[in-house]
Amino acid sequence: MKLDIQGHSGCDIAIVHEDNELFIHKSTHDAGYVPRLVNQANKQIAASRIEYQNIRVPKIFDVAQSDTSAVIKMEYIYSRNFIEHFEQAGFEQIKYLIGAIKYFIDLEIANSKMQTVPSSILTDKMADVARKVEKNIHLKDDDEAQELVRQSTVVMNGVGDMVMPVGMCHGDLTFSNILFNGNNYYLIDFLDSFIESPLLDIVKIRQDTAYLWSTLMYHKPFDKVRLSIISEKIDTAIDEYFTGKYEWYRKYYMPLQLMNFLRILQYGKEDKVIAYLKRVIAGQLAIINQPKTA
Amino acid sequence: MMTLIVPIAANNSEYASKLPRPFRIDDEGTMLCVKAITGLPMDEIKDIYYVILREHDERFMLSEQLAMQFRRHRLDNAHVTVLDEPTGSQAETVAQAIKINGIEGLVFIKDADCYFSTDEILPQNGVSIYPLENLPIVDPQHKSYVAVDDMFYVTNIIEKRVVSHFFSAGGYCFEDAQEFCRYYERLKDYSPLYLSHIIYAMLLDKKIFRPILIDDYQDWAVTHVNQ
Repeated sequence: MKLDIQGHSGCDIAIVHEDNELFIHKSTHDAGYVPRLVNQANKQIAASRIEYQNIRVPKIFDVAQSDTSAVIKMEYIYSRNFIEHFEQAGFEQIKYLIGAIKYFIDLEIANSKMQTVPSSILTDKMADVARKVEKNIHLKDDDEAQELVRQSTVVMNGVGDMVMPVGMCHGDLTFSNILFNGNNYYLIDFLDSFIESPLLDIVKIRQDTAYLWSTLMYHKPFDKVRLSIISEKIDTAIDEYFTGKYEWYRKYYMPLQLMNFLRILQYGKEDKVIAYLKRVIAGQLAIINQPKTA
Repeated sequence: MMTLIVPIAANNSEYASKLPRPFRIDDEGTMLCVKAITGLPMDEIKDIYYVILREHDERFMLSEQLAMQFRRHRLDNAHVTVLDEPTGSQAETVAQAIKINGIEGLVFIKDADCYFSTDEILPQNGVSIYPLENLPIVDPQHKSYVAVDDMFYVTNIIEKRVVSHFFSAGGYCFEDAQEFCRYYERLKDYSPLYLSHIIYAMLLDKKIFRPILIDDYQDWAVTHVNQ
């Protein structure tokens, strides 16, 4: 038996019932996407071999690949999404989640090496964003968006070479890619990242905790105030923890978070989402450009 | 000793022409919002503040009516605080009452549309709770629910989601009025903001809340709905 469900990675997701067990089939029939999906599967397989506290990675049982398609068969996880989890989570469950996020990223850092990421990675990416925004029919005549891109280009040109841990990262560590099962958290939808750094995972998780990005995609009613209070709590805890520990976090978090939202903006279609992204990016530029106090 | 605050300053559209329910009189001649506090241990309360709206006060002469009720029930320590504008939340009403009256220390907030009795309120953060199964009539979607652990510490409070068989019975104790105001200031831009959100934010910051087990709960809002 096969039940199709909506995914958010661009791939087809199906729940398959075989021999009294449920499995997830994640597939693509886009030849251009096949290598990327296979890479994601390999990343997930590698991550599932590591023991994490409270964090689990669904097992992958099979990767079937041809020139034009790929299908990944993986473990089905009985779980709730982040909003349903937060709607009912007591304070101690939020504390466990904060601990698990810190532990997971610290483990990624321990499995990475400090490396110099050349400035060209960021400036080339910025040039690519500028081109895509210029071509995007929803943005090319948007003066505000163009000005934000211009100001962001100045910021990215000023960052220079970055020294940070490189080697291990989930690649898309947003709340929508975490399945909640009690105090166990299952990570799904591993993705290749333009810098394979744990810092990019902090950027992604704070995309939700600081900016509530994933709630934009949720269309059922929920207690927005409660979710905001929880998000703020998690965000403050993560920010204080990494600010206190790592210079690379203090130096590069903001420019990389700016780049993260620019990369979402470049594909913007819906007016509501574009307005939200412009507001966020303008706020980030204001923080980055504010005079440094002595 | 604690300060008791009874907030009744919401501008419910239902009250545009009608007397707000908490100011209605029961068969014994007692105003419901006054009856609402009669089950509390009065010898632990130093001052009582009823917080009402000027619009309601002028239309229904509430200050005068409340003064008569206070005399009749020998509530010599009861006062009326009149707000010029409706508030956006119960939390805002309480924060304004604290600020206007310079209230410090332990405060107990009592909903005006229900009654319960309790022998003792300890000087600590707390939420009054009552088991759902003890109610003959239940209106579950208009309540917040309180989860407690085995040692009777509050672990969760949530609006309109049944996470526990205990619901919040409309009495909230805060050991520091100024701390309550600090949390209100932090959260005041959120809407709709409930007292349960303030308590949950405090729980997340490791503030300890204990349940206050109460008796004889009466929910006049449900009684009204079902009449």
